Amino acid sequence: VKIIIVGAGEVGFHIAQKLSEENQDVFLIDKDPEKVRRITENLDVQAILGSGTSPDTLRDSGIQDAEMLVAATDSDEVNLIACLLGRHLNPYIVKVARVRNPEYLKEKDLFGRDLLSIDQIINPESVMVETIRNLMMVPGASDVIDFVDGRVKLIGVTIKPDSPFVGRQLLSFKGMEGKLLVGAIVRGEQVIIPHGEDTLKANDLAYVVVRTDELPAIFSLLNIKDEGLRRVIIVGAGEMGTALATSLDQTKINVKLIERDSQRCTNLAQKLESVIVINGDGSDRNLLQEENISDCDFMVAITGDEESNVLISLLAKGLGARKTITRISKLSYIPLVSAIGIDTVVSPRLSAIRAILQYIRRGKIISVAPLKGEHAEAIEAEALETSDMVNLPLYKVKFPKGALVGAIVRDGEIIIPLGDSVIKPKDRLIIFTLQKVVPKLEKLLTVKLEYF
Amino acid sequence: MHAQLILRFIGILIFFLGISTVGPLLVSLIYEDGSSRALLYSMIITSVIGFLIFIASKRDRETHLSHRDGVAIVTFGWVAAGLVGAFPFLLSGTIPDFTLAYFESISGFTTTGASILTDIEGLPNGILLWRSQTQWFGGMGIIVLSIAILPFLGIGGMQLYKAEVPSPVVDKLKPRISDTAKTLWYVYVLITALEIVLLFMGGMPLFEAVCHGFCTMPTGGFSPKNASIAHYNSPYFDGVIIVFMLLAGINFSLHYKFIKGDLTIFGRDPESRVFFSLVALFTLLVTFNIFGTVYDSLGKAFRYAAFQVSSIITTTGFVTADYDLWPSFSQKLLLLCMFLGAMAGSTGGGMKIMRIVLLVKHCYQEIFRIIHPHAITSVKLGGRPVPTDVLSSIWGFFLLFLGLFVVAALIMASLGLDMISAFASVAASIGNIGPGLGLVGPTKNYLAIPFIGKWVLIFCMLLGRLEIYTVIVLLMPEYWRK
Repeated sequence: VKIIIVGAGEVGFHIAQKLSEENQDVFLIDKDPEKVRRITENLDVQAILGSGTSPDTLRDSGIQDAEMLVAATDSDEVNLIACLLGRHLNPYIVKVARVRNPEYLKEKDLFGRDLLSIDQIINPESVMVETIRNLMMVPGASDVIDFVDGRVKLIGVTIKPDSPFVGRQLLSFKGMEGKLLVGAIVRGEQVIIPHGEDTLKANDLAYVVVRTDELPAIFSLLNIKDEGLRRVIIVGAGEMGTALATSLDQTKINVKLIERDSQRCTNLAQKLESVIVINGDGSDRNLLQEENISDCDFMVAITGDEESNVLISLLAKGLGARKTITRISKLSYIPLVSAIGIDTVVSPRLSAIRAILQYIRRGKIISVAPLKGEHAEAIEAEALETSDMVNLPLYKVKFPKGALVGAIVRDGEIIIPLGDSVIKPKDRLIIFTLQKVVPKLEKLLTVKLEYF
Repeated sequence: MHAQLILRFIGILIFFLGISTVGPLLVSLIYEDGSSRALLYSMIITSVIGFLIFIASKRDRETHLSHRDGVAIVTFGWVAAGLVGAFPFLLSGTIPDFTLAYFESISGFTTTGASILTDIEGLPNGILLWRSQTQWFGGMGIIVLSIAILPFLGIGGMQLYKAEVPSPVVDKLKPRISDTAKTLWYVYVLITALEIVLLFMGGMPLFEAVCHGFCTMPTGGFSPKNASIAHYNSPYFDGVIIVFMLLAGINFSLHYKFIKGDLTIFGRDPESRVFFSLVALFTLLVTFNIFGTVYDSLGKAFRYAAFQVSSIITTTGFVTADYDLWPSFSQKLLLLCMFLGAMAGSTGGGMKIMRIVLLVKHCYQEIFRIIHPHAITSVKLGGRPVPTDVLSSIWGFFLLFLGLFVVAALIMASLGLDMISAFASVAASIGNIGPGLGLVGPTKNYLAIPFIGKWVLIFCMLLGRLEIYTVIVLLMPEYWRK
């Protein structure tokens, strides 16, 4: 399938990388010769030097017979014009655009069939706010991904050195069969799709499948204290900080928003009802102590400066904040910061990549979530009648090494599978898989990851 | 450097080259020419060696090839391919000496076509086909072939591709490198098949048509006949082979575009226009130079001039006339052709027309700047600006090419070769042409070159085929520093 991506920034680059690893024909357009050269050297895609807003460049990249256009530059205007040109040059092309400006997003008609006819708008900021809210609702987790309309949650939990699970084999977790399942373990840079004999080590990030309604019970089982969510401090009232504060406004949660710019503080204070707006520097130790950082459940460092965010989070941790969420843009920082003790990281770019990939890979694959490190994914898919894995106990199914069924959903009932569970046709499955066995998995599912 | 990964790849390469002996083996069985046993042994030995290297090298967790790894795989892969190619010659006893066998084999893979054999017609058919086949594989590139057929390379393929096909301007036909390699090979196979059919229809025996087809498209120049194409003395064969030599000298991505329906591409592409103009110009010059002095009919003069010019400028090296006897002007023109070479992205060697065009344009720009000191200019090719780093890399290439040529020619001269032979043998090797002038002229061969000289030429052939940088990088201490 031929996909044209405009913009080789981090978002465009990573999407191109993902898709080329899945053997799609990717054309990546960027106007920076240096980036084009970097791509030619690092990715198996066709890099085209030019502007995504130039009809000639788009024609050169063969837009006439392409199936999809992903406009992923940092500029909304470029993205919108690229989509407009895409529609002009090829009326049937599917268009995905990254749009951030809330003013554009308000004009719903703008993207409709009559004007731009963009099939999917990806707004990384709103996706990220959603992610942060999700994380707040599951306080013990450092990553939360919803499946089956939120009824199954995939939570990433960091195994603390004093956790009773350290050094134990997975199959020795008695009394938990059918309730939770460890689907993937992230150890440093490595992602492991575990077997029963694998053991958990301290500082592993374990991805666990649980039913949403059993979450509190599981947490007490895992020795994770759920102290509820009462006090949140947000540092940075940029677009994202404002959006987050607004979404938490007028809830039971006590929110403090710290912002350096006094003008902005005044504006926000007039707009927000129950959120306390504080004018000050988030990296000021005294200010944080004054605002009772040691009692706060969540400290969200969400300024536009990622290095400051890291430092603010470290400071807050040192001052006793229970959990921190740190906004980071550069994807290459993510493995580093977890090493220095920052538990949860959100990234608008990662959010955008997730959102775009989820949209691209539709068909029988219902949703896809890349796990940390990008080498593994959780896939939600439907089991077809024709597949080799239906009507067999799981232990007899020849799963490719590096793939694991994490949950089966049948008629609204959620089954956390055991070796003798049987998959029936039309079941929805959540499968953990390493990126490299995705093609084998596709074959087993007899589903093509359909693109359009 | 990922030594294990490099070894593993070279193991696979040796294995496949070993397996590819099956074609010559079948031919030798059909003709019962007595070389079957040697070919069979060679097939077993090389494929087993390749397999053992593959098994012995540890599976590296790291699968991402760096540019350094790519360079090492390609260079060592070619050296290893030369060894594999020498086996059938040694085992069959047709070339009992290792240096000679390796020379013939490298000359084959690098599509040089310089031979040390005195009586080619006396060789068994199986060995002859093997000899032609080395050229055919080498032409489009053994590494490109592996990229096309080995699915697991992915992006690593790009590093290998760039090391084996170091065109000044990267030209990917398809978004994915394995598809690009496949497409190139399809085009290559298609044109080769067409030539074989045309030669066969003109009355050439099938076996010889296949051998010539296998040696024209890679611009190789091995012929199963002692007198090369002159053996047939047929205007039809001359014509067909001229056309296909020129086709082989064209950038293969233009062929692809042509097949895709862009029928005027050869006329529009700036490099191909220069290429065809040069061929026409040199042919005319040589025709008038040899008309009257060597040949008394204009038609004959034109026929031989066109063939020799096409053969040398595309770096094929087939001959229909002993140009060593031609006037000095024609000889020097042909020597110039050896340096020019064919188009970038073709199977031909030499410095490549693309580089020459860009260098000339750059020189012109410098002169222009003397006249208009404040003018802002950029070198353009086909309306597109060429980045300055590409230009400086081409200047580097030009200097290295000439520098290495001079050093190698000096070594040859120190071994006792006369001036013309020393120059021509090195030019014909580094440009991957084959026949040169003087001692290594079109009716003679490389057997008389001294032992050390043969190894110098082997090195030159590799340098020329991999376009200098890929090989020379490995000789730099900087490369091996951790």
